[in-house]
Amino acid sequence: MFLGNLGSLRYFLPEIAVTATILLLVVLHVASNRRTSAAPALLSLLGVGTAILLVGVSPAGGGKSIFEGMAAYDGFAVFFKGLTSLATVVVILMSMDSTELAGRSQAEYYIFLLATLLGMFLLSSATDIVMVYLSLELVSIPSYLLAGYLKGKEDSVEAAMKYVVYGATASGVMIYGFSLLFGLTGSTQIAEIGRSLVAGKATLPMLLAAVMAAVGFGYKIAAVPFHMWSPDVYEGAPTPATAFFSIGPKAAGFAVLVRFYYTVFASPTPGTGIWHLTTSVDWPLLFAVLSALTMTVGNLVAVKQNNVKRLLAYSSIAHAGYMLMGFVLLSSAGIEAILFYLVVYLFMNLGAFYVVVLVGNGTKGEDIADFSGLGSRAPFAAVSLAVFLFALTGIPPFSGFIGKLYLFAEVIHRGVYWLAVVAALNSVVSLYYYARIVKVMFLEEPKDTAALPVPAVTRAMLVLLVAPTLILGVYWEPVARIASNSVKMLAF
Amino acid sequence: MNGPSDFIFYAAAALTVGSAILVATLPNIIYAAVALLFAFAGVAGLYVFLSADFLAATQVLVYVGGILVLILFAVFLSNRLADVKISNPGHFHLPAAAVCLVLFGVLSYTAVSTPFAVKTAVYLPTTADIGEMLMTRYLLPFEVASVLLLAALIGAALLSRPERGTPEKADMEEGRG
Repeated sequence: MFLGNLGSLRYFLPEIAVTATILLLVVLHVASNRRTSAAPALLSLLGVGTAILLVGVSPAGGGKSIFEGMAAYDGFAVFFKGLTSLATVVVILMSMDSTELAGRSQAEYYIFLLATLLGMFLLSSATDIVMVYLSLELVSIPSYLLAGYLKGKEDSVEAAMKYVVYGATASGVMIYGFSLLFGLTGSTQIAEIGRSLVAGKATLPMLLAAVMAAVGFGYKIAAVPFHMWSPDVYEGAPTPATAFFSIGPKAAGFAVLVRFYYTVFASPTPGTGIWHLTTSVDWPLLFAVLSALTMTVGNLVAVKQNNVKRLLAYSSIAHAGYMLMGFVLLSSAGIEAILFYLVVYLFMNLGAFYVVVLVGNGTKGEDIADFSGLGSRAPFAAVSLAVFLFALTGIPPFSGFIGKLYLFAEVIHRGVYWLAVVAALNSVVSLYYYARIVKVMFLEEPKDTAALPVPAVTRAMLVLLVAPTLILGVYWEPVARIASNSVKMLAF
Repeated sequence: MNGPSDFIFYAAAALTVGSAILVATLPNIIYAAVALLFAFAGVAGLYVFLSADFLAATQVLVYVGGILVLILFAVFLSNRLADVKISNPGHFHLPAAAVCLVLFGVLSYTAVSTPFAVKTAVYLPTTADIGEMLMTRYLLPFEVASVLLLAALIGAALLSRPERGTPEKADMEEGRG
């Protein structure tokens, strides 16, 4: 039933590539005298590129339980491995462009980045609570270090500190919940736990376990009320790291959220693409309320922000709220909508952060005022940012609209009308603060009229991020098909 | 199980909980660290009662012997930390106490009322079993933990490296060292 350790290795090649790259980076770091050279960045690009390639050619016939039942090899995990490594590639390129990181020792930064990537790979495939906890920590601990990478900069240190304190508390609560599950069922395998809970009558400990696990996962995806860390961390961390946090760990958090709750507390009804609850714990209702709270708090607080990184932090909280809508529906179409939204969100959000990095390089500031007159100083970057922001709002014909359309359609199809209304109202609010940046860029006089140089390579990168944001708005069928296939292969 | 063994169990439990409360409430970080020593020792005692001999020994060796000494070193070596009363500023005492009491009530009620499957303790050596499990069923977590520790180690080195002037100069200094 389970593949043994040796037999699992051929389904584990992307992870091996990333681990090998981490070890090579360590060797390179020790051997080289020039701490600020670009070699670690290039090596990481090569390593993650290899990992993407290996994810792409990964053996078909998913639905295997590998490493004695510790992890799953299925389309769902492969999807998230591809998504997170793609995000990492963009973040590596962004980091090479950023002046914030220039002049600092490089190798450690990429070691942490790749260790987080490995953690995300494992988190999206973990099927044992030991593995879930360990890979969550493997995502978290290097992330703390990334947040505090600008040593000596007070914001960055504060970010790391808050991240550690919140992270430790959240994972402590989560593992208490896991211990309840282990106590009830005597197993650490999530599939086994799910089967044992069906017969159980102990409602209170199951409810506690569901809530406590929600704390740990909710912290990773920055859902309200576990979002307190995110604005400060997003503001203080180096901007490329912020961009990374806003998509990578969040995507992996959604992966483990879906796999955990859909295995432990629900079971698929064969042939319908619908899951049913197996216990009396009504966690979809809990998460529906969290989803509404998350998008509302995220959007309302974003309106008041003057720092663009903080604004994008709240915007990313709001987007987690939208995606949670797909999670509570107990249908495969709902999960498909999340996966599709994550792809769209990857491009538009990383794109927005890329422009923030560029402006930060030029003006040394991240306030909305620093973006004034960007339309005349760097027209290309300004137009790109406008595209990303409108896509984030969810206006047609940009890809964000299609992403939201899938989510809304499924929410209405499953009859959760109140959630759809809340989400629609929220989209209107979000237009205000996204459009405010666009207004500042094009309608206000620049503080500094000198042109902001955008190197050709960066321009090419922006094109590569703008293109999917636009194309997925009119021709999204291939990505939707990939998402749908990935969910079909969700195996336990 | 009655008589002396019960008494020892409750003593170990009281030691653990009591010291943990002290860790949270003592304002002086050195005192808190020493209280942590007793909490760790108490947990080792609880492991003995769970017939986990290897874990109990590891707890003493790694936590009491290693990690605690490291914490004390960290406190002693960072000269500002030993004097500053950083823990527990007096904010939100009442709301926090209320929330904690409710949480304590719910958790302890759950622990007492739930019919957990209880296994009777069998006092046999566990070391060989643990060793075998680590190399077979739990091989993946075991290896993943090593990557995690590597990243944490590099992070610790990065954080503790003193701030220097210009990066180029720092490189030359490191090259000589």
